[in-house]
Amino acid sequence: MKSRSMRFVQGAAVASTLAASIFTFVGGSAVANAASKKYTVAYVVGAASDPFFLSMRVGATAEANKLGISLVWQGNPSVYSAATQIPIVQNLLATKPNALVLAPTDTKALQPLVAQYVAKKIPVFNVDSGDANQANITSWVTGNNVQGGQAAADALASAMGYAKNCSASNKCVVAIGVSSITTSTDAARLKGFAQELKAKYPNIKALNPIVSNSQPTVASSGFKQALAANKVSGIFAIDGTDLEGASQAIVASGAAGKNIKVVGYDAYATTIASMKAGKISAIISQQPALEGKDIIDAVYAKLTGKGGIKHLNTLANIVLTPANCAKLCSTYVYKTA
Amino acid sequence: MVTSPLRRVLGLFANQQFILLLVLVAVMVYFDVHNGRFFSVAEFQNLVVDLSAAALVAVAELFVIVSGGIDLSVGSTIAVSGVIGAQAIVHLQSHHFGELPSLLVGTIVCTGVGGVVGALNAVLITKANLVPFVATLVTLSAGAGLALFFSQGAQIGYDPVAATWSSTGFWIFTWQALIVLVIVGVLGLVLHFTSYGRYNYAIGSNPFAARAAGINVNRHVASVYVMSGMLAGLTGMFFYIRIGGGAPQTGIGTELEAIAAVVIGGASLVGGVGLISGTILGVAILTVVTDGLVFINVSTYWNQVVVAGFIAVAAILQTVSPGTRKR
Repeated sequence: MKSRSMRFVQGAAVASTLAASIFTFVGGSAVANAASKKYTVAYVVGAASDPFFLSMRVGATAEANKLGISLVWQGNPSVYSAATQIPIVQNLLATKPNALVLAPTDTKALQPLVAQYVAKKIPVFNVDSGDANQANITSWVTGNNVQGGQAAADALASAMGYAKNCSASNKCVVAIGVSSITTSTDAARLKGFAQELKAKYPNIKALNPIVSNSQPTVASSGFKQALAANKVSGIFAIDGTDLEGASQAIVASGAAGKNIKVVGYDAYATTIASMKAGKISAIISQQPALEGKDIIDAVYAKLTGKGGIKHLNTLANIVLTPANCAKLCSTYVYKTA
Repeated sequence: MVTSPLRRVLGLFANQQFILLLVLVAVMVYFDVHNGRFFSVAEFQNLVVDLSAAALVAVAELFVIVSGGIDLSVGSTIAVSGVIGAQAIVHLQSHHFGELPSLLVGTIVCTGVGGVVGALNAVLITKANLVPFVATLVTLSAGAGLALFFSQGAQIGYDPVAATWSSTGFWIFTWQALIVLVIVGVLGLVLHFTSYGRYNYAIGSNPFAARAAGINVNRHVASVYVMSGMLAGLTGMFFYIRIGGGAPQTGIGTELEAIAAVVIGGASLVGGVGLISGTILGVAILTVVTDGLVFINVSTYWNQVVVAGFIAVAAILQTVSPGTRKR
């Protein structure tokens, strides 16, 4: 019979071999690439598995490969929060990358770390979301979320036939689904949407936002409540998961759902399929792959001293509709691989 | 001296089940006063759909909790089984399988994946001697990661035909709800009227005494976790039908809702105490409150606060009311 200590040693050996092989499996490809490239750039996103960031990775990686940059792509797999992002950014500082590209999950929380990078002469770039104080940031590429919210309001009002169907005595009711009210992008879209309603569409009444925590089933359940409780004629879904939930909710409500118009963010393959099937009136598409490409170009210009870097590069949102889908959808769908 | 009918009425109020029922009715009336559309077939259909998915997980959690354990992995199991099941369905449909056969295979795959996660929990608990909290925390974390890995973060499948099924059925009962009704009914009979159920209470009350009485504790505990995993897997399939696809974020956090429902229903987290009717009432209250607050257009952030209040009140009731201590 084996002694206790012997078992412990065997157990430890098995565990460490297992751990080592996992690290080799996960990290192997990144390490192999790094050796042959001239520059190493740390790239930290919000939630790495979000199709938006996956699509950004496609654009950034292609450009980096072209320019001889090795990307160290990091981010919590699914949690979009400063608490999970800060340790990642902190650890990467020790690896001394040539530059840091950061999609900050909070407008303020990451600033002290950014200052540490800058103190070590590592330039920092923002992509998608940005730090509130841009003094330490070389360049920031982002979509315009307020404008996107406004575009969504316009698209929704037009789909609902605002002039004909909504009046002061018979207000049209709109349900709104968000993933989180505290995320800067969601807040900005909501703000743009509300501003546009106030300015142009006073006869639309917006319900309190339904919070889905990025779960399509939760969004769908919430929208069904809103549809059962009110005579809803439109839905604004703030991102792809809420849009998936919205299109399912109107399918499930059968005949009552037929006249409800849905407009929302994010050109996932699934949401485009829903639009083609007539469940969605318009999709507000960001340009994540272009954001990734543009920020890598800015990094390269900085590292090679070429200059000509715009501090703020705001990319327009694209409004996809059934009318222009044949022409545009294949270009703007978020490609995740 | 109190007359016997009055005593019976007073006795009813000491019964936690009856209080839960009163609370449920009161909450529903409150919502209907705010918006008269609450008592409608359409709204009840919504409630029953939400309730049925939550009930499957909560009943699984009840079995685990009564046996003295806890299963934190159910949320991740829903996600990972839904994603893998969706991949199976997409594969079959691309090979010209019909809707119904591919969904049936998907159901088997989801339940199977759930069973595998449950078996993993069982091995960690009965063979590696981890406490259930830690063992299922491991699978909770690994499952969430694997769901993201298998799906690459995006929803798998686009199946609007399946999605329409989540709203068809008989009166306020969708097909899914009817299936859940049968499953919950059978599990209720098992828990309260078979030796398997009695073993569950015995092990939860005192595992040493149960072992001394000749019960194979490890085998029984293992079977409870496997069943919990399979029910979570089946719930993954339910969510697939609801949104017409398998999304990796689906089900995250469900474990805490299930545990909350079980606690509100009067079960003790120490084990050995709990009724299936209490758990179902707990699920019903949570579902009605969660849905109803959206229904009357209250900010959903209040949801968690209100739910917390219900848990606190239920837990306090449990400590002050001696009548609810026995199972």
